[in-house]
Amino acid sequence: MTAVALAWRRAPVSLVAGVVILAALAVCALAPGLIAPYDPLAFDYGALLQPPSAPHPFGTDQFGRDILSRTIAAATVDLQIAIFATLGPLVIGAIVGLLVGYYGGLADAVFGRLVDLVVTFPFLVLVIAIVAVLGPGLSNMYIAIGVVGWVFYARLMRAEVMVLRGQDYVSAAKVLGYPERRILLRHILPNAARPILVYWMTDMALAILLGSSLGYLGLGAQPPTAEWGVLIADGKNFFSQAWWITVFPGAAIVLCGMGFSLFGDGLADLMDVRR
Amino acid sequence: MSKAGLIAARLLQIVPTFLLIGVVVFVLARLLPGDPVSAMLGDRASDEAVNRLRQQMGLDRTIFEQFAIFLENAVRGDFGTSIAFRVPVTSVIAERLPVTLALTGLATLIALGLAVPLAFVAGLNANRWPDFLIRSVFQVGLSSPVFYVGLILLTVFAAWFRWFPVGGYGEGVADILWHLLLPAVTLALSFAAVIMRNLRASVLEVLNAEFVDFARAKGLSRRVILTRHVLRNALISTVTLVGLHAGSLLGGAVITESVFAVPGMGRLMVDSIFARDYPMIQALTLILAVVVSLAFLVTDLVQMALDPRVAR
Amino acid sequence: MRRTFLKASLVALAVATGLVQLPSIADAATRGGKMVYARYADSLFLDPVLNDANVDIWVLTNLYDTLLQPTADGLGVQPGLATKWDVSGDGKTVTLALRPGVKFADGSALTADDVKWSLDRARDPKAGAWNSSLASIESVSVSGPETVTLALKHPDPTILPALATFNSAILPQKAFEASPGATPEEKAKSFAEKPIGTGPFVMTAWKRGVSMTLKRNPYYWKQGEDGKPLPYLDELEFQIIPDDATRLLKLKAGEIDGTEFIPYARVKELQADPNLRMELWPSTRVRYLTFYCGPTYKDGKPNPVANPKVRQALNYAVNKDAIIQITTLGLGKPMRSFMSATTPLFVGQDNLYKYDLAKAKALLAEAGMANGFDLQIYSLSGNGDDANDLAAVQQMWAQVGVKLRIDQVDNATRTARYREENFGMRTSAWTNDISDPSQITSYFAYWPNIHSLHSNWQDKRVDELFEKSQQEIDPKARAEQYREIQQRYNESAPILYLYETPYPVAFRKNAKGFVQIPLGNNLFEAAYIEK
Repeated sequence: MTAVALAWRRAPVSLVAGVVILAALAVCALAPGLIAPYDPLAFDYGALLQPPSAPHPFGTDQFGRDILSRTIAAATVDLQIAIFATLGPLVIGAIVGLLVGYYGGLADAVFGRLVDLVVTFPFLVLVIAIVAVLGPGLSNMYIAIGVVGWVFYARLMRAEVMVLRGQDYVSAAKVLGYPERRILLRHILPNAARPILVYWMTDMALAILLGSSLGYLGLGAQPPTAEWGVLIADGKNFFSQAWWITVFPGAAIVLCGMGFSLFGDGLADLMDVRR
Repeated sequence: MSKAGLIAARLLQIVPTFLLIGVVVFVLARLLPGDPVSAMLGDRASDEAVNRLRQQMGLDRTIFEQFAIFLENAVRGDFGTSIAFRVPVTSVIAERLPVTLALTGLATLIALGLAVPLAFVAGLNANRWPDFLIRSVFQVGLSSPVFYVGLILLTVFAAWFRWFPVGGYGEGVADILWHLLLPAVTLALSFAAVIMRNLRASVLEVLNAEFVDFARAKGLSRRVILTRHVLRNALISTVTLVGLHAGSLLGGAVITESVFAVPGMGRLMVDSIFARDYPMIQALTLILAVVVSLAFLVTDLVQMALDPRVAR
Repeated sequence: MRRTFLKASLVALAVATGLVQLPSIADAATRGGKMVYARYADSLFLDPVLNDANVDIWVLTNLYDTLLQPTADGLGVQPGLATKWDVSGDGKTVTLALRPGVKFADGSALTADDVKWSLDRARDPKAGAWNSSLASIESVSVSGPETVTLALKHPDPTILPALATFNSAILPQKAFEASPGATPEEKAKSFAEKPIGTGPFVMTAWKRGVSMTLKRNPYYWKQGEDGKPLPYLDELEFQIIPDDATRLLKLKAGEIDGTEFIPYARVKELQADPNLRMELWPSTRVRYLTFYCGPTYKDGKPNPVANPKVRQALNYAVNKDAIIQITTLGLGKPMRSFMSATTPLFVGQDNLYKYDLAKAKALLAEAGMANGFDLQIYSLSGNGDDANDLAAVQQMWAQVGVKLRIDQVDNATRTARYREENFGMRTSAWTNDISDPSQITSYFAYWPNIHSLHSNWQDKRVDELFEKSQQEIDPKARAEQYREIQQRYNESAPILYLYETPYPVAFRKNAKGFVQIPLGNNLFEAAYIEK
C-alpha cells in the first residue's frame, strides 16, 4: 500500500467528504465551459421559465437562460469570493496577530480596542455600509470584507502566540540569542498557524454565505455575472411558479459551504485543533 | 478579580471603544455617496429646495462642527431627530429594540434547545451513526444562507400549510411568539450548528479527561459523571460561545427581519443606511454596541458563577 | 367662459387617446369594518406643501381635500371643496364657490379664510418643492363667506388642474397655528404628526415604518350610494411591508385585504386565484432609461451618446416588445411619446423606435461608431424591474457592439449622481402629479428647470414652445405646441423609450371599492369589506 493510500485511509471521514465536494466544485469553477450544456448568458425566448426537463435539468429562468449552466458558471465566482475575500485577511491578520501577541505593550492595547470595535458591530451591517461607500461590485466587496475580516485572524493568532511565547523552547531560543525574526518565523509561526488554517476553512464558508447575501441584496456581483446569491434574488419573485430558479443555486451554496466546513472539521481532527 | 471589580474594569474599557465607534460611524455615514437630502427629496426637487433643506439640517457646516454637535448632544443622551421619520430617534428605537431582543432571545433559546441535547447524544455516540446523522444535519444548517432558509420556511410553513403568519409582529406574548417562531428558527439554525459542534467537542474532551477516569475508578455511575462533570464544563464553554455570538446574531437579524417583515432594529439599520439617516445610524450603532457589550459582561459574570477558577 | 375650453379639450383628448376606463362601483357597499392595506414603503411627511415623495402624495387624498379634484380618468377636474368655479374672459381671475357646511375632522367649520391661508402657504416660493404649480397667482382674496377669488399674474391654462393637485389641499389654519413649534416648519412637523383635514379619514396612530391607522372622519361631506356620508369603512390600516414576496404571501394567507405594486411576474398567478381580485389601474407611469447627453462626462471623457444619431440607434437596437414580455409579462405597452398616453395633450407616434437592428447598425456607422463603445448605467439594487430590463438591454446592445456596465446602487447614490449630472445612464420611472402635460414636460424637455432630467439635453425651440404654452389659453394652439414639443423630443431621443404600465393592485375578493387614479392617488373613501 502506497503512502498516499494509507493517508487516505487514515484521513477523517469529514476530510474525505470535504475534499470530494470541493474537488467537484473546483472542476466546475475551473472549466465551466466544459461541463455546462449552454452559454450561461444566452437568452432563449422559446424556452422561458421551463421546469426541469431532459434538455434543461435545472429548468430555465425568465430569459430562457439555462439554470444548470448558470449554477455551474456561478461556481467560478463564488469560489473566487471564498478565496479572495479571505486570503488578504488571513495574511494581514496572521502578521498583525504574530507581532501584537509577541511584543504586547501599547500595540496590543490598541489592538484590543479594535477588536472590541469590530465584535460589537454587526459584521453584515458594517460590510453593507462599506460597500455602499465604495460602490457595488466584487472587488469592492473583497475590500469591505477584508477591512473587517483580518481582525478575527489576528485575534486568533494573538491568543496562540501569547501561549507559545511562554513555552520553554521559545525561552530557550531567546537565551541562546537567536534573532527575534528567527524565533517568530521558525519557532512560533509554524505552531500558531494550525488554528488559523482551520479557521480559514470555516471563514471561506462564511465568505460564500456573506458574498451571496450581498449578491442577494444587489451589492455583490453585478449583472450579468452569475453568482448564487444573485441567482436566488433573480428567482425570488418567481418562487411560487418557478421554484427551480431559486432552489438549485441555493442548494449549491449549501453544498459548497458544507465542503469547506467538512474539510475544516477534518483538518481540525487531523491537526488536533480545538475549535 | 471580584464581581464589582470585573464590572468596573469592563465599563472602563467600554468608554474608549464607544468613542471609537462614534467616530467611525460618524465618518462612515458621511462617506456614503449623497446625503440625507438626496435620499429624501428624490429626483424632482429643485436645487433651491435641496440647499434649503441641507441648511436646515446643518449639513452645510463642516464635518468637525457637526461632530462636535453630535458629541455634545450624545453625552446629554440626545441622539437627535431622525431625518427620515422626523421624530426623535430614541422614540423609534424604543419601538424596535424590544422586537429585535425578542427575536434574538428566542433564536438563542431555540438554538440551545436544539443543540444541547443533540450534542450530548452525538458526543456520547462519537463516530457512530447517531453522531454522523446529527453532525450532517447541523452541517446543512451551518451552510445555509439565512435569506434562503427564510424564503423556504416562509413558503412552506406560512404560505402552504398556513401554520404560521407570513410575517410581521404580534400583540401580546402568545401572539408575538407565534409571529416570531419562524424567523427565530431561521436565525437559530446556523447558531445551533456552532453550539452543537463546540459542545460535542467539550463532551468528548471531558469524557477523555483524566478526572473522569478517576471518577469512574471511584465507581461513580456514568450518569453522575455526566451531570456533575461533563455538563458543568460543557455549559461554561457554551455560555462563552453564546456571549461571543451576540453580535453576529444581531447581524443575522438584519436579513431575517427583512425577509419576514419583522419591524426590528436590523431592518431599521439597513433602511437608515439607505436613507442616509445620519442620526439614526449613529444612535442605532451605539445602542447595538451597548447591547453587545452587556451581553459580553453578562457572559463573564455567568462564567464566573459557574466556574470559580475564572474569578481567580 | 374658460371652463368650456377645458371641457372641450378633455373630450377631444379622451377620444384621441381612446383610453378612458372608468372605475365601476357596482354592487351596494357594506358599511363598517376595517380594511388592511399593505404598502411597500411608509409615508414620510403628511404635509401637503412640504412633502417630497409619492409615498406621501398618494395617500394624502384620504386625509385632505383640494378645491377641485381630478376626475377618475385623470384627464379633467371635478368639484371638490369648491362646487363651482369660473374663469374670467381675460383668463386672469378665477372665482370659486365653496361647498357649504364642510367641517374638518376635529369638528370645526371650513371657512374661506382657511382656503386663502392654505393657498397662500402652498404658493409661498420658499415653501416646499411644489409651489411653482401655483406661481401664476398674484393674490388670493376672500370675497364672501363662501367665495374665494384668485387674481392671476397672467392667464394660466394649468391653474384648474393645479387646484386639484395635492399641494393645494385646504388645512385648518387655527389647528395648524395651534400646533407646537416656534417656526412654521416646526409647526408643520407637529401638525403632520396628527394631521387634520376634511378628507374621508383621520389618522389616529402611526408607528413609523410599521403601520398607520386611519379612522373614519364622521364629518366627511361626500355621500355614499346609500345617501349617508362616506366613507364606508370604520377603519383603514396601512401596513408597511417592503418585500414584494412577503406582501403577496400575506395577501394569499388572508392576513391583509389588499396590497400595491404586485410584481408583474405574479399578476397571472393572482388572476387565477379564486380568492383574489387583480386590479390593473390605468396610469400615467412611464418607464424609461435616461441618457446623459452632454458632450463630455464629468471625468472629461467624450460622451458617445451626445450624438442624437447614436441615441436613436440605441433605441432601435432594443426590442421593446421582448422586454415588455419579460419584465411585465405582456402587461405593458410600448411608449409612444415621452409622456404616457393618459396625459392630456399626448400625441403618440405609433411604432416609435420599433426594433430594427439593421437601422441601428446603419445609424451607428453614420455616427462613426460602427465598432461600438462602452456605456455605464446606475440601477437600483434589489429592484426586479431594473434587473430584468437591464439584463435584456445589455444583451440586445451587445449585438451592436455596445457594452453596458450595470452599477446597482441604492436610491440615495443614484439620486446624488443624477443631481451632479455625473452618470452615463440611469433607470427611471415617472408618474404625473397633475392632470396636465406641463409638469412632465418641464422636467423632461424644458432645460431651464432641471436641465431636462439632468441629461443636459437642450432644444431651444422646445424651451420656447414650452414657455409659450404655459400662458396659452387657446386650447388648439396649446395642443399644437405640445404636438411639436413631443415630436422634436422624440426625434432627438434623450431617453431610451421602454414601456407604459398600469398600476397593479390586488385585493381579497370581498375587499372592494378602492380606486387608484392615473396620477397614482389611492382613494379609499368608497372602499368597503363585504361581509
